[in-house]
Amino acid sequence: MNPKIGVYICHCGTNIAATVDVEEVVDFISKQPNVTVARNYLFMCSQPGQDMIQRDIEKWKLDRVVVAACSPQMHELTFRRACEEGGLNRYLFQMANIREHCSWIHDDRAQATEKARAIVNAAVRRVAWQEPLEVSHVKINPHTMVVGGGIAGIHAALEIAESGNHVYLVEKESTIGGHMAQFDKTFPTLDCAACILTPKMVSVGHRKNIHLLTLSEVEKVKGFVGNFTVTVRTKARYVNDKCTVCGACVKACPVEVPSWFDEMQGKRTAIYKAFPQAVPNIFVIDKEEIPPCIEACPIRQEAAGYVALIRDKKFKEAAQLIRLRNPLPEVCGRVCYHPCETECNRGYVDQPLAIQHLKRFALDWARKNKVEIKPPKIEKREEKVAIIGSGPAGLACAHDLAVKGYQVSVFERHSTLGGMLALGIPAYRLPRNLLNEEIEYLEKLGIAFRTNVSLGKTTNLEQLKRQGYKAVFLAIGAYSGVSLGVKGEDSNGVYYGVGFLRRVNLGIRTPLGKKVAVIGGGNTALDAARTALRLGAERVAILYRRTRAEMPASPLEIEDAEAEGVAIHYLIAPTKITRTSPVSLQMTCVNMELGEPDASGRRRPIPVPGSEHNLEFDNIIVAISQRPEMEVLSDQNGKPLFAITPWGTLQVDQDSLVTNLEGVFAGGDVVLGPSTVIASMGLGRRAAESIDKFLNRQPLVNFKTHMPKPIVPRGETFRPHRYSPMYKDLPRQKRIEMRKLDPDKRAKDFSEVELGFSVEEALQEASRCLNCGVCVECLECVKVCDPGAIEHDMSDSVQEIQVGQMLLATGFDLFDAQVMSQYGHGKLDNVLSSLEFERMLSATGGTGGKILCQNGKPPRAIAIIHCVGSRDENHHKYCSRVCCMYSLKYAHLVKDRTQAEVYQFYIDMRAYGKGFEEFYKRVLHEGSNIIRGKVAEVVESGWSNKEEGHLIVRCEDTLIGKFREIPVDMVILCNALEPRQDAARMRQLFSISLSPDGFFLERHPKLDPTATMTDGVFIAGCCQGPKDIPDTVAQAASAAARILAFIQKAEVELDPIVAQVQEELCSGCRMCNSVCPYLAISFDEEKKVSVINQALCKGCGTCVATCPANAIIGKGFTNQQIFSEIEGVLV
Amino acid sequence: MNNFEPKIVGFLCNWCSYSGADLAGVSRMKMAPNVRSIRVMCSGRVDPTFVLKAFTSGADGVLIGGCHPGDCHYAEGNYKALRRSVFLKRMLKEQGIDPQRLRIEWISASEGDKYARVVDELTQTIRQLGPLNLQAQEAVNV
Repeated sequence: MNPKIGVYICHCGTNIAATVDVEEVVDFISKQPNVTVARNYLFMCSQPGQDMIQRDIEKWKLDRVVVAACSPQMHELTFRRACEEGGLNRYLFQMANIREHCSWIHDDRAQATEKARAIVNAAVRRVAWQEPLEVSHVKINPHTMVVGGGIAGIHAALEIAESGNHVYLVEKESTIGGHMAQFDKTFPTLDCAACILTPKMVSVGHRKNIHLLTLSEVEKVKGFVGNFTVTVRTKARYVNDKCTVCGACVKACPVEVPSWFDEMQGKRTAIYKAFPQAVPNIFVIDKEEIPPCIEACPIRQEAAGYVALIRDKKFKEAAQLIRLRNPLPEVCGRVCYHPCETECNRGYVDQPLAIQHLKRFALDWARKNKVEIKPPKIEKREEKVAIIGSGPAGLACAHDLAVKGYQVSVFERHSTLGGMLALGIPAYRLPRNLLNEEIEYLEKLGIAFRTNVSLGKTTNLEQLKRQGYKAVFLAIGAYSGVSLGVKGEDSNGVYYGVGFLRRVNLGIRTPLGKKVAVIGGGNTALDAARTALRLGAERVAILYRRTRAEMPASPLEIEDAEAEGVAIHYLIAPTKITRTSPVSLQMTCVNMELGEPDASGRRRPIPVPGSEHNLEFDNIIVAISQRPEMEVLSDQNGKPLFAITPWGTLQVDQDSLVTNLEGVFAGGDVVLGPSTVIASMGLGRRAAESIDKFLNRQPLVNFKTHMPKPIVPRGETFRPHRYSPMYKDLPRQKRIEMRKLDPDKRAKDFSEVELGFSVEEALQEASRCLNCGVCVECLECVKVCDPGAIEHDMSDSVQEIQVGQMLLATGFDLFDAQVMSQYGHGKLDNVLSSLEFERMLSATGGTGGKILCQNGKPPRAIAIIHCVGSRDENHHKYCSRVCCMYSLKYAHLVKDRTQAEVYQFYIDMRAYGKGFEEFYKRVLHEGSNIIRGKVAEVVESGWSNKEEGHLIVRCEDTLIGKFREIPVDMVILCNALEPRQDAARMRQLFSISLSPDGFFLERHPKLDPTATMTDGVFIAGCCQGPKDIPDTVAQAASAAARILAFIQKAEVELDPIVAQVQEELCSGCRMCNSVCPYLAISFDEEKKVSVINQALCKGCGTCVATCPANAIIGKGFTNQQIFSEIEGVLV
Repeated sequence: MNNFEPKIVGFLCNWCSYSGADLAGVSRMKMAPNVRSIRVMCSGRVDPTFVLKAFTSGADGVLIGGCHPGDCHYAEGNYKALRRSVFLKRMLKEQGIDPQRLRIEWISASEGDKYARVVDELTQTIRQLGPLNLQAQEAVNV
C-alpha cells in the first residue's frame, strides 16, 4: 500500500513557531516514507491554508492528509471539511497536536522540536492505515418535547412553536409557570413577574401546535436522536374543560391543606387552582390516594365525605351523600361490620373514627328534621328481572336495577321482607320500623315485592322464564344451621341459632326455659344469647371452643352481652346431648386446649383427656355456622342445578357473578357463605351491573362497580397526606364512646340498645378525621358545579409520544434552611425563606402584599442573610448567583412598603449583570445597612421580660472589625438554589450526566451550555445551574435555536466511529456482550456470533479491547492505526 | 543515567484526560517534554497490547489517562481500563518490567494542573528507573 500523504506544519502565528523549529520538522517529515509533500504555513486553519491543502490534493493526487497544529478538539472538524471539499474522504485526515501538547508546554526549543517531530511522525504513520468512512444519516422527527413548564420551558416552547412545528410541553404540576409565577417583582427593573409571565402562559395555552400536558411526568424514554419514544403519564385532574372557573366548588369544599404555591404559608381547599392566573385555567382536585375507608367499603360509600360534611355541620348534605351510594343506609348505620373503621388511618394515631355511629347520627338527624328523600327520575325499560331473596344482596341488586329502569320483582320465601335483616338480626340492634322505611322507599322505586313465594316449591326457574323474566339473581342466603355432629343433637329443646332467631323474629312461639346454653362464638351466637335473655331466660351461657381472642363476634357485641349478664365460657365444647327429663337436657362437655393452627389460621382446639363433665340446661342453641340450603337449588329429581364449591356455596364467576346457567346470577351469603350485610350488598350491586350488561348483550367484562382492593398496612411513620405530620406526631384525641341503655334496663325488651350520638358528640368525633388523601369525596363540588365539569371517576392516562428532540427545563428546588438550625427556620417565628417572603410580597399571597410579622404588626427592622446553603463547605460550595440581587430587591421593597430598618449581611456583593450595579447603588442610597459578614446565629430575645420577643442577629461586621448583635423583627434567608430532588432519576431517564454539584451537565460550559453529551437532549435554565430570568430565557432561546436547526435540516449525521464485529473471526464467546454500556451488542443465535447495532454504538472501543480474538474493528481507532501511531511517536 | 531522557507514551481519553492536557497547554503550564500523547476515545479502548507494543517499540514508561470513576463519558470504560491495568502490572512484573513504568491516572477535563504534575512525576520516576531497552525480537503482527 503506497499512500500519498500531504503534511502541513502550522506556525499558528508565533504560538508554535516561537518554540518549535517548524522548518526542521518539515525537513524531517519530508524524508519519511509515503510523504508526498510537506509544507509549513502561518495559519493553516485560515482560507489560504485550507486552499493550500485542496490544491495539493488535486495536484499531487494526495490520498491522506496530516495537519500538525493545535488540538483536534479545536480544528479537526475544520480540516476534515476542508479535505472533503477538496475531494478527499474526511476520515483520511489526521491531526497532530504540536501546540497544546508541545509548543505551549515546553520552553526548550530543541526538546520541543524533537517532540514535535515525534508527534508528526506518529500522525503520518497512523494516517497511512486510515480508511474512508461514510457518515450515515438519520431522519429527525420534527416534533419536540419540552419537559418543565417554567419560564425556560414556556419560552422555548413558544420559540419552537413559532416555526409551526409541534411541541409537547410536559409539566408535573397542575399549571405552568414554575417558580417565576411565585415571584412578586423581579430585579433590577422591578418588573412584576406575573405581568411578564402570564402573557406568555396564555400564549402557550392558545397555540394550537403546543400540546400542553399538565399533571404529567415522563415515565420512560426509548430510542435515539431524531427518534425518541417517550411514555408520559398524566394524572387525573377530576375536572374537565367545561369548567368556567366560577369558584363555587371552592366555597363548598370542606377540606383545607397548606398551599404549595404559597410555600405552605397559606391554605387552599382540596379542589383548587394553584394561583389565579393558572394555565390551563381549570380547577384541579388533589386526590393523593383514595381514603382507605372508601376503598375498603364493598359499595364504595364515601365515608370520608360524609364525615367531613358532619364536621362542617352540613348534616342534611351528609345524609344525602350517604343515600346517593347506599340503598340501605339506616341498616348500615346500625349493623354494618364497618370495614371502613378497620382500615381507618386514625387507628395509627389513637383509635379509628366511629364512622358507623356518625352515619347513623346523620340519618337520625335527617329523619328527625324531616329531610325529604326524593326518588331519582327513572327511565323505564321493559325487561323484567327476578330476584330471589329479599335480604341485603337482593335489595341492593333490586335498587340498582330499578334505578336503571328495569321491571324488578323480588320473591321472598317468608312472609316478612328483609332476609337476615328481619329474621336474624335482633330488633334491639336494628329497629324494625327503620327496616320497613327502607323497604317502603324501594317500593317507591317501582320494585314489586312478592312474599311467601319459595323457589323450588311455589316457583322455579322454568316458570320464571315462562313468565318473561329475562334474568334471575339468586340471593337466598345461608339459612341452614351447621350441626355439631354430636349424639342427641336432634333432641327436643335443641335449636339452631339461625332457626331460633327466625322463629322469634317471625313471632312464632319459641318455648325457652330458664337455663340456656348457646354453642358458638360468632355474631349469631351472641344474638341468640342476648335474645334468649330478653325472652325471659335467667341464666344464659355461651360455650366457645377457643378463647376470646379467636371469637369471630365483634368485641363490642361481646362486651354488651357480658354487661347484660351473659356468661361466656372458653375452651369448652359438647360431646353428647342427652334428655334427662321432660324439661332438661344434659350436655356432656370436654375442656379444650389450643394446638397447632388449622386451615383458617386459628389454633386448633384439642380435647383435654379426662376432662369430661356434665352440665344441665333447659335449652341448647347450636350456633356454630350456617350454610346455604342447597336442596332448594335442585331440580325435581333432586339433582343440583348449579356447581357447588367445596364449602357448600354456589359457584359463580368472580367478576360477573354469573352461575353456570345463562342469565342466572347469584350473590350474598349463598355465594360467600355466612358473611356480612355490606359484603352481600356489594355483590348485589356488582350483580346489577352484570345483569345490565347481559340484558344489553354486552360482554361481561370491564366492570366499574367497586370491589375493595387489599390495603397495604401503613405504620406510624406514614402520613394521611403529604401536608400532614406523621401519625406518630399527631395530637391524640380519644374516640367518643356510644352511649347505651343501662344494662339492667336493656335485657327487658327489644328496645334499641345503642342510643346514638348527640350533635356535640358527632361534631367532636368528626373533627378527628384526618382527611386522608386530601379530597374526601363529599361530592359537594359536584352539586354546585353548574356546567357539570367535575368527574370524580376520572383515571390517570398513559400515552406514548414520538419526538425527535427533547429539552429539559425542570428548574430548581430551594435549599431547606431548617438544616442550618442556627438560623431558626421552622423553629422561630418570623424567620422566612426567600420564596416564603416572595409570597408575602405578592398581591396574591396570604397578606395581600403587606409585610407583616406573625403577630400581624409590621416589622420595625428586617435582616436579610445572604448565602444560606451557598458558598458553604458544609452544604453547597457554589454561588447561587441570584441572591445578592434579590436581596437588594427585598431591601428596596421593604423600604418602599414599611418604615423598617433593613440590615443585609453579605460576603461578597455580586451585581454583575446589566443594570445590576446601578440598582445596588440606588438601594445603598435608600439607607439600607449593608454589612459585610456572615451571620453566626439568629436567636430569640425578650422571653424573660414577658414582653413580645424579637430576634437577635449575631454577626461579625468585618469592615469595622467588630462583633455585632442586631435586634430585628423579621429575618429573611437567601436559600441556595439546589438541583431538583429527582435530578438523579431524570438524568437516568434521559441518559445525561450530572455535574459534580448535581445540576445537569452541559456539553461545554462556554461553547455549548444548552446541549448535553447525549445527542437530541438539550437543557436550559436553572436545571443546568443557578441563574436569573434573563439568562434562563437566553438559554431557552439558545436551545430552541439548536433544536430548530436540526428540525430544519430534517436529518442528523451519525458518526461512523463505531465498532463492528468481523463475523468470520468471532468465536461466539460473548465477552463483548456484557461490556457495552449502551446495550448495543447482541448475540445472533443462528449465526452464533455477536452483532453490534451501529445506531446505538457510541464508539468508545471498550468492546474492541475486550475481544480476545481481536474480532472487533474499532473504526477510526483500529489496532493497526494505533500500533503505527505508537511506533511513530517513539522515533 | 546522566543524560537519560525517558520516552513515555501517554494514552489519553478524548473527553477527560486529553482535554485536561489541552487545558494545561492553553494555560501555558510548563512540564517535562517526555510524555508523547496518543488520543483514544475512551481509556476503555486501551488494549493491553498497546502497552506492550509501546514498551517493545522503545518506550520507557506508559501513562493511561481516563475520566474519574463515575464520570466516564461512556459510563464504564474507565473501570475496564483500571481492571486491565491491575492485571497488566502483575504481568509486567512477571516479565521483569518494573510495574511502576505503567501508570493509570484519572484526569478530568478541568484538571490541567494535575496533568502537568503527573507528567513531571512520571518522568522523574522513569528517569530514576533508567531506560528499559526492550526491543521486540520480531515485529508484532496484527
